[in-house]
Amino acid sequence: MDAAPAKRRKIGHAQDGAERALESAALTGFSRSRAFVLEAEELLDSVRVDYEAAFAGADGLLHRVKGAIEAIKPHESLPVAEAAAKLEKKHKVKVPFPDPPPPENSHYKVAFAKPAQFNVVGSYVSKTMVKTQKDHSVDMVIVMPEEILQEKDYLDLRYFYKRAYYLAVVASALRKELGKEGQLAYEYLNGNPLCPVLTFQPKALQKAADNAGDKEQSGEKATLDYRIRIIPCAPDAFFPKAKLHLGASLVRKGLNADANAASAPTSFYNSALVAEGSFLPYLRLLRQTEKKCRSFKNACMLGRIWLQQRGFGGDISEGGFGHFEWAVLLALLLQGGDNKGHAALSASLSATQLFKAFIQYLSVTDFSEKPCVFGPGTPELDDHIGSGPIIWDSARQLNIAYKMGPWSAVMLCQHAKWTRKVLANPAADQFHPTFILKAGLPSHNFDLVARLNHDASSAAAADNGAADARGRLWQLSSKVYRVLRRAFFDEETGHRARVIHINTPASSPWPLAERPKQHESAALEIGILFDPVNMARTVDRGPTAGPSAEEQDECEQFRKFWGDKSELRRFERDTIRETLIWSSTTAFEVCEEMMHYILGLHLRIGQVDGDISVYGNELPALLSLSPSDTAVFNVAKKAFSTFERDVRNLDDLPLRVRQLAPICAELRHASVKPPVLGPSKVGPRPMECVISFEASGKWPESLIAIQRTKIAFLLMIGSLLEKSKGGEVKTHVGLEDAKLETENLAFLDVVYESGASFRLRIHSDLEETLLERQVKDKTQEQYLRQQATTSLAAFRRLHTNLPLHNQYISTCATRFAALSPTIRLAKHWFNAHKLSYHFTEEFIELAVLRVFLSPYPWDAPSSANTGFMRTLLFLAHWDWRTEPLIVDTGGDMPAADRIAITTRLDAWRKIDPSMHHTVLFVATAQEPSGVAWTTVGGHAKPSKVVAARMTSLAKSASRVVREQGVELDCRRLFVPSLKDYDVVLHLNSKAMKSALKTYATVDPAEPEAASRPKFKNLDERTGQVPLPLVQHPSEMFLDHLSEAYSGPLVFFRGAADENTIGAIWNPQMQRRAFRINLPTSYKPVAGQKRSRDDEDSDDEEAGLVDVNKEAILAEIARIGADLVERIEVKGA
Amino acid sequence: MPSGPATIGEFSVLPVSIPPLPSFLQNATHYLYVRRNAPKIPTANDSRSLFLTNIPVDSTEAHLRALVASLVGAGRFESVTFADERRDALAQSTPDAAQPAQAGRALQAHGAKKRKREDEEAGRAQEGAAARLPSTWTRPLRRSGSTAVVLLADDRSAAQVLKAIAKANRTRRYPAWGGDALPDGRVPPLGSVWLRAHNRLSYPDRDALQASIDAFSALFARREQEAAETAKRMRHEPDADGFVTVTRGGRNAPASRNEAEDARRKMLERQDKKKEELTNFYRFQLRERKKEEQVELLKRFDEDRRKLGAMREKRGKFVPEA
Repeated sequence: MDAAPAKRRKIGHAQDGAERALESAALTGFSRSRAFVLEAEELLDSVRVDYEAAFAGADGLLHRVKGAIEAIKPHESLPVAEAAAKLEKKHKVKVPFPDPPPPENSHYKVAFAKPAQFNVVGSYVSKTMVKTQKDHSVDMVIVMPEEILQEKDYLDLRYFYKRAYYLAVVASALRKELGKEGQLAYEYLNGNPLCPVLTFQPKALQKAADNAGDKEQSGEKATLDYRIRIIPCAPDAFFPKAKLHLGASLVRKGLNADANAASAPTSFYNSALVAEGSFLPYLRLLRQTEKKCRSFKNACMLGRIWLQQRGFGGDISEGGFGHFEWAVLLALLLQGGDNKGHAALSASLSATQLFKAFIQYLSVTDFSEKPCVFGPGTPELDDHIGSGPIIWDSARQLNIAYKMGPWSAVMLCQHAKWTRKVLANPAADQFHPTFILKAGLPSHNFDLVARLNHDASSAAAADNGAADARGRLWQLSSKVYRVLRRAFFDEETGHRARVIHINTPASSPWPLAERPKQHESAALEIGILFDPVNMARTVDRGPTAGPSAEEQDECEQFRKFWGDKSELRRFERDTIRETLIWSSTTAFEVCEEMMHYILGLHLRIGQVDGDISVYGNELPALLSLSPSDTAVFNVAKKAFSTFERDVRNLDDLPLRVRQLAPICAELRHASVKPPVLGPSKVGPRPMECVISFEASGKWPESLIAIQRTKIAFLLMIGSLLEKSKGGEVKTHVGLEDAKLETENLAFLDVVYESGASFRLRIHSDLEETLLERQVKDKTQEQYLRQQATTSLAAFRRLHTNLPLHNQYISTCATRFAALSPTIRLAKHWFNAHKLSYHFTEEFIELAVLRVFLSPYPWDAPSSANTGFMRTLLFLAHWDWRTEPLIVDTGGDMPAADRIAITTRLDAWRKIDPSMHHTVLFVATAQEPSGVAWTTVGGHAKPSKVVAARMTSLAKSASRVVREQGVELDCRRLFVPSLKDYDVVLHLNSKAMKSALKTYATVDPAEPEAASRPKFKNLDERTGQVPLPLVQHPSEMFLDHLSEAYSGPLVFFRGAADENTIGAIWNPQMQRRAFRINLPTSYKPVAGQKRSRDDEDSDDEEAGLVDVNKEAILAEIARIGADLVERIEVKGA
Repeated sequence: MPSGPATIGEFSVLPVSIPPLPSFLQNATHYLYVRRNAPKIPTANDSRSLFLTNIPVDSTEAHLRALVASLVGAGRFESVTFADERRDALAQSTPDAAQPAQAGRALQAHGAKKRKREDEEAGRAQEGAAARLPSTWTRPLRRSGSTAVVLLADDRSAAQVLKAIAKANRTRRYPAWGGDALPDGRVPPLGSVWLRAHNRLSYPDRDALQASIDAFSALFARREQEAAETAKRMRHEPDADGFVTVTRGGRNAPASRNEAEDARRKMLERQDKKKEELTNFYRFQLRERKKEEQVELLKRFDEDRRKLGAMREKRGKFVPEA
């Protein structure tokens, strides 16, 4: 009787809503997004400005400013020229008239009267400033009284002349009042040359800012170096908005009565005019939204940070989409502005939710494609999209995006897409790329950056007159953009570029008594982001040349655009098309060629040398990477498959071959130099591979015996190969430099006549089992178990991890064209800084691969240049002390695995907090242990010191990249500094070269010259192939040195063929008490015995000893003999 | 030349002057520390041997012979054993290095080694030498700061050497290292020749290698057989306490370790499957699972919190880059 209700209750309970929500949350693993929320909150807390302290005295200043302006004596209207001259004479203040200034004889009248209204607007009142923003300004608008304006002032810049005069009067008054307490200057509001404003920077702060330049950056200082901007504006709704629509042409004068130009719409001018009267309406809108939606402010702050990290700002040169636009757009979305009348976003969302939703919105809206309209739109808006992006706020009749160029709209959309991608990826770290990383640098963003020299090209741009108020430079850039867009965004054949961006120079403030500085000489910066698939295309197929009128028309247009470059060609299936043939080979060069051609054709830019300078190809050129390298790598791969077939075809092998896998960088497109196949004078360096056979029970159950059996096997394979391939193949069984009998003892070198050579090692499955057993065997002695662990790790690396690694690096190299050159550049960088000796190649490859597989906040790099720059950035940012490097090679690593990897790292750090055994932790889906590539022979490779050096080098490299921008001489990144080393060994290149050649028949001891007969045909060496190299001699030499001096010295070396080795004395090896097993050569310290009567010296009689550095160096000189040319000691 | 103490602890300090080389023109002095050899387990030769520590990395027998000769004259030096060689020898002499593991353990347990006769052992040593792989280096390097034991002709020479060291310290006339004192051609050179020689030695003659492998296989096969025989014998013979040792090859035991592991794995699989069938079968299991998940969720939340705290501690994580 009781049981039934109880049961029912349980069922009811199980379907409880909250519980189900929890369950679903657990299943979807929302931990990441929750972390994002927490991190974002933390970010807001840390950047929030404490207004009381930061703007101490700002309110008082504002009141004084207000008072000073109110005290200005109004005057009756005067002719503008006269008034300006008077002002200049009396106060030494120039009126910042927009270009062109009013003509001398004009009869415009200007007057001054008390402002109708004062108001403080902007982020100072809404309290949405962040500590890290570029400048903190308090915006004060002064509304010009209606009596000094006339309605027709909207025409021909008249309003702006009056505004400029008004500002100058205010400036002269303020200088009297505040001139001693700070600095007054003019500045363009958001870089808009129509709207100058007055800035006032209090002096005390100015000084502080000069003194403690970077202290202020770390946020230590309580007071920010704020400034006050005084912005005159028009009264709300003074000008008839109906007349200021986007299509109106309001600047008619000054254009030499050119009828055509006069009718051209002046949409920027119009919007600027509307914006003049909209300060207060927008202030109201934002206040309303703040009240309605609690998290609005925080969302705006997040937006500000996001925009700032991507280089966007309200300034025209920064893209014209800044914090204000973000806030207004978000407010409109919250208000329900879309044409159906209800809100797109709910006011109850949290700040991060709003942020995410807004990013989502931006990522799907390209303002330059289609006007984005809030409220009832007008159909004619679509017609104006050609002149720029449109965000139409019907209520206030303003195009909010009027300061944006079409390129910045595209770029904004692209950045939003990238950010959306990272926000949608639950596995990635979402916070860091979204808010912390500086993602706006051209060298990280664009594959090609070009500079247009403006001086030479201004003539070409001027043919249309100065219809655009933003100046000639702007006109030029929009033309360039149109041409390039047409050239690179060909719908039919596929887009060559993903983004074309143009960066115009920013304007700077200027003193009151001067004219604004013209940035005529500044250059335009064009950034292009390739589509890696299409950019390298050398043949463009245009429209088919057919008889129909439509086709003819199309061809005509095509020819008109491309000029003489276009030619008719016949393709398969008898189609005849207009075609463009480009002569370059790489993506970069094709792009450069196209740019030169098309800009020259349409804008007559680039005729003179130095008109266009192109950046972004220096790095590949540095290593002389070329697209033909891929072919060379493929040849090596082909040689390998020949070898594999030859081995598989051997009939008399006792076991069937299961797998023959390559394990070297040459066979995965990842070696710095492409493999050279062909006869060479020096001994060949075989490419390594491993072979495994079908499982067999015949392997002896003893590690030593297994190793010997392998030798027998290798001997057999060798002789069988030689027999089956005739004289084509030569084989050598070589012995490893093994310390233990249980390690792998031998390998087989197979040298083909063609020049390819391979090194084969045998895998035996029993070996692994035996080693595992030894590791687990608790009865064994500790050191034996340790040995077994090391051997097992080496075994697994060689036979399990390396073949897999080769496989996925090769796969990824075909998937990402830029991966292979980037890896090679990164390796070259490690070489140049003499770090390679301490890093496994695989680690470098994985670090680069991570930049490709988890490229946030960008997309996977499409050129070696960006790839390398971002690799440096990654290395600089990677906090390896607490973060594992997880490379998700398959793209489907479950969240549980990631957590497990992180937990493992935490465990390591707990066991080994000083990081003696495990330093870097690099895990992949196939290799979750995380130490396969960073621990070799039981030692951390690299050690903590070296890893820290890598980070600091990468940090300084990134800093240089950031500071120098695209003009950076990339060679600087690869200049090593030998100053840091205590000792530098200079090797003798001649002796080293001689060590590359050994012959089976020649005694190495006899000197080369003496033993060589006079005639070449008598020399037994002629025609004989030198023995393969077991290891590069300099590697061998260094291995011995670092083994002998593992205690006192740390050696640094780059590539194997490099002739300088750096070394640093281990600071831990110091003066110490004498004992029997000293870690290195020590000398007794003279005279220390006498100091013993200094009371409490240790009771130990044993004297102190010190590292005998000279003796050690002398030993190195003896070991090196002829190899070492010179040993350079720091300070000696 | 700097003068240091003549003794340090119970060691006499022997400074050795190092002649400059073109690549390193400084005069250096190396310090050897010498005392009478007194190992933990005394041997017969202790009284006429000296213990050296901090020997130079390029020490060879010839070098030390020349050094002793310069101190007390020729004819006193007998031989030298380096620390790493001693360890090598130890590793080589472990009796069952080349034996099937199982058999080796059984033999050890049974004390079969005792029965080995002297001549048999000598024969084995010879075989072992034949089976050893050729060395690939003409001359090894020592680890910096390692030790060696020098065996001299008699007790008196040892005392004389120590006295000569004391005298050298007094007179400040230190013996030189290497140089002319070395016999010509007896010490293989270092440098590029050394590396080239290594490369050549790494590719030994195929026949020699084959012979060495053959010798090894013969040795190994014989030992395996011996071990098998012993094992068989032991299966039948009770030991002193009357127990019969269980060895491989019994009636019920699987033929090899591999098979045993296979069987074990299969059994585990079967168990797993059984377990799988019974999960989420009862209501209480479901409930417990849910509870666990909630706890897990809470735990993760706490973890995030903690991580955040850690990030906060490290300043700069939350400040957007300039």
